[in-house]
Amino acid sequence: MAENLHLLMSGFAIVLQPLNFIWLTVGVVLGTMIGVLPGIGPISGVALLIPLTYNMNPVTALMTMSGLYYGAMYGGSTTSILLNVPGENSSVVTCLDGFQLAKKGRAGSALGISAIGSFVAGTIGVILLQFLAPPLGQWALAFGPAEYFSLMLLGLMSATTLNEGSASKGLMAVGLGLALGTIGIDLQTGTTRFTFGRLDLLDGIDFLVLALGLFSIAEVLWEATHREGAAERIKLNSPYPTWKDIKESAGAILRGSSLGFFLGVLPGVGASTASFVSYAVEKQISKNPDEFGKGALRGVAAPESANNGASEGALVSLLSLGLPGSGTTAVMLGALMMFGIQPGPMLIPKHPEIFWGIVASMYIGNVMLLILNLPLVPLFAKILDIPKQLLLPLIVVLSSIGVYALSNSRTDLEMMLFFGLCGILMRVYQIPTPPMILALVLGPMVEQSMRQALTISRGNWNTFVVHPISATLLVLALAFLLFPFLRRVAAQSRLKGVHRA
Amino acid sequence: MFRRSYHLALALLLVLILVASVTAGCAKKYPNKPITIIAPAGPGGGWDLTARSVSKVLADTKLVSVATTVENQAGGGGGVALANVVQNKKGDGYTLVVYSPPLILINLNGQSKFGYKDITPLARLTTDYQIIAVSAKSKYKTLKDVMDALKKDPKSLTVGGASAPGSMDHLSFMLAASKAGVNVKDVPYVSFPDGSQLMSNLISGKIDVASTGVGETLGQLEAKTVIGLAVTAPKRYTDPRLKDVPTLKESGIDVTFDVWRGIFGPPDMPADAKAYISKALENMVKSTNWKKDVLEKYNWIDAYLPGDQFKSFLDEQNKALGDLLKTLGLIK
Repeated sequence: MAENLHLLMSGFAIVLQPLNFIWLTVGVVLGTMIGVLPGIGPISGVALLIPLTYNMNPVTALMTMSGLYYGAMYGGSTTSILLNVPGENSSVVTCLDGFQLAKKGRAGSALGISAIGSFVAGTIGVILLQFLAPPLGQWALAFGPAEYFSLMLLGLMSATTLNEGSASKGLMAVGLGLALGTIGIDLQTGTTRFTFGRLDLLDGIDFLVLALGLFSIAEVLWEATHREGAAERIKLNSPYPTWKDIKESAGAILRGSSLGFFLGVLPGVGASTASFVSYAVEKQISKNPDEFGKGALRGVAAPESANNGASEGALVSLLSLGLPGSGTTAVMLGALMMFGIQPGPMLIPKHPEIFWGIVASMYIGNVMLLILNLPLVPLFAKILDIPKQLLLPLIVVLSSIGVYALSNSRTDLEMMLFFGLCGILMRVYQIPTPPMILALVLGPMVEQSMRQALTISRGNWNTFVVHPISATLLVLALAFLLFPFLRRVAAQSRLKGVHRA
Repeated sequence: MFRRSYHLALALLLVLILVASVTAGCAKKYPNKPITIIAPAGPGGGWDLTARSVSKVLADTKLVSVATTVENQAGGGGGVALANVVQNKKGDGYTLVVYSPPLILINLNGQSKFGYKDITPLARLTTDYQIIAVSAKSKYKTLKDVMDALKKDPKSLTVGGASAPGSMDHLSFMLAASKAGVNVKDVPYVSFPDGSQLMSNLISGKIDVASTGVGETLGQLEAKTVIGLAVTAPKRYTDPRLKDVPTLKESGIDVTFDVWRGIFGPPDMPADAKAYISKALENMVKSTNWKKDVLEKYNWIDAYLPGDQFKSFLDEQNKALGDLLKTLGLIK
């Protein structure tokens, strides 16, 4: 332990060298900007940074890149909350309650809480990374296809909690999402499915295309066709979160942070899944689940902490095993190799300065991001003062840039508009959109891991229950499904009790 | 009035002549604007690394007088970029694209109607090879152990790769296995979305054998969590982490599987552009920057071939891979 403390101190000494400090600042500022801009995510951000780092030493380069990575998680919530335009994949869920809060004039609280949540998650994440990286990496290895299947199924069950109103309409939305998720090349057979011979569909439909269509474009079309309220200006209640807000969301932040971190450690699970699951958990355990979707602060706090936690969790498997857990860390792996450093289990023993330099830079980077982001809150909240006739086209422009930036594809833009029209129809017929998006994210993972597991077990379905982790997750999934039902039963019997008395 | 417009017309004509002569002058000198190198996948993979390395070395050595920028155009296993280059960049001397064996495979399996014949091969640059690996805890210690088990019962082991059936990870293993006399159609193959999920499933023993690019395993080989049973190269690597891994030939299976990477131009690339880029690439591979900063770091092997020889190499590859896909029953 004393040795670790010594190493951490030497890490701080590295970060506080003027040049390193400047580059770390550049990293987190760029990260915040990239987070705010929809579509341009941390993956392309880090890739753009690579040429700048050619002549740096590896520690400086890596701390700049990871600064950009977790910095992007801070910025991602801004447009979700203010405009219903998710800035990153991992901020899609933040739209659900964030935008409702903004409509009620509580944009300041929402933005502030997501900055504070990101900070807490970032700091918890780096503490866990510092002490637990190698054992956690081993823990991640316990997750094979069977465990992934059960985990993703649990995630999919949480889709039911995103639902409001009619259960059959919620299921319909899940079904639509699952169906969209089957489009593309099937990984297990190499066959193309539902692509109609179109190359653009071979990789499936990116969920940002669907999310921007269903949220942003549909919102614009809705506002544009419903003139009442056009003149109304949203009054900003308070530019910063109050103590009450912070107290209210503290639990959600802590839960979101740890859940996000542990899910982020697993390769391929990532920040978007973590944000969805943590939102669902919050709603599930809340005393007033009906508030969610109508402007619950905890519905912002949980996913925004979770995505930050996940981005640091993803660094665990990169640094301790050399196995990147996300697209961005995969790019960072390439960068490490460029410096002649082989990522792998030997990275920490052979290059302790890199690991401890990154850990120390994350403590400092998170403080910088909080200082940077809190003063920006009232500034960003001013966006809401823009008159609607100017704001709505702006939303369309931002969404289009975001979707086009994914892979420079016109088809993606056309699909976004199509989903925008679908979004309007779904709104008219009161079919909830979030379960559809979650199903698109998780559906392919559920399917692929199920088939991987069954190939390995030679078709034996026992595989999902004989593995303890998988079995536990399945029980949890079942509990998720039954929980709302049980609660209703409990509430009814309590009511009966009251009547009898 | 008339006079004024007459003057105006004269002035305009002069300007036009000037502009025309300037552009004509420019047109003679290739290159006069930045060159784009397309990586047909997202950031982080082999295509992206190759494109970025070429761009960097060309800039450092000043072999190309203009800037080269890398553009990622992901989708369809490289098919989206291919369609773009073939359909929209015809005759353009300022677009280059990086490819490797999937260029041939996506055409053979029908995913893309375009293939290597539709673009202009400029140079083959590097070769990488595939590796067959097991977990350090595995009871199989040699490739012969694995093949013997599979010969006895093709379903006795699970093989994993980081790409779908019919792509490199699958084909390289099945090629070796079919030469060893295994009934390859029955061997269970699981594909993972990326190399890290493949490696974690191999280390933890969820799958028995992994077949993937050598680069994916280096970190694990160094830590001895994974053992290499064979590389698909014609001779052993010199790298300390790989020097103990035998070739397929040493293991009694006389085949190799190349993961070549090369640079291509659009269809009907202008002759001056083709000559200029080909010359620049020929000089680039001789530079110490290329050898030190790229080949050594990424463990790639120099496999330079100029355009015309590259073309005949591709013809051979096309035939060999087509035959293999037929053997495996993946195409008719």
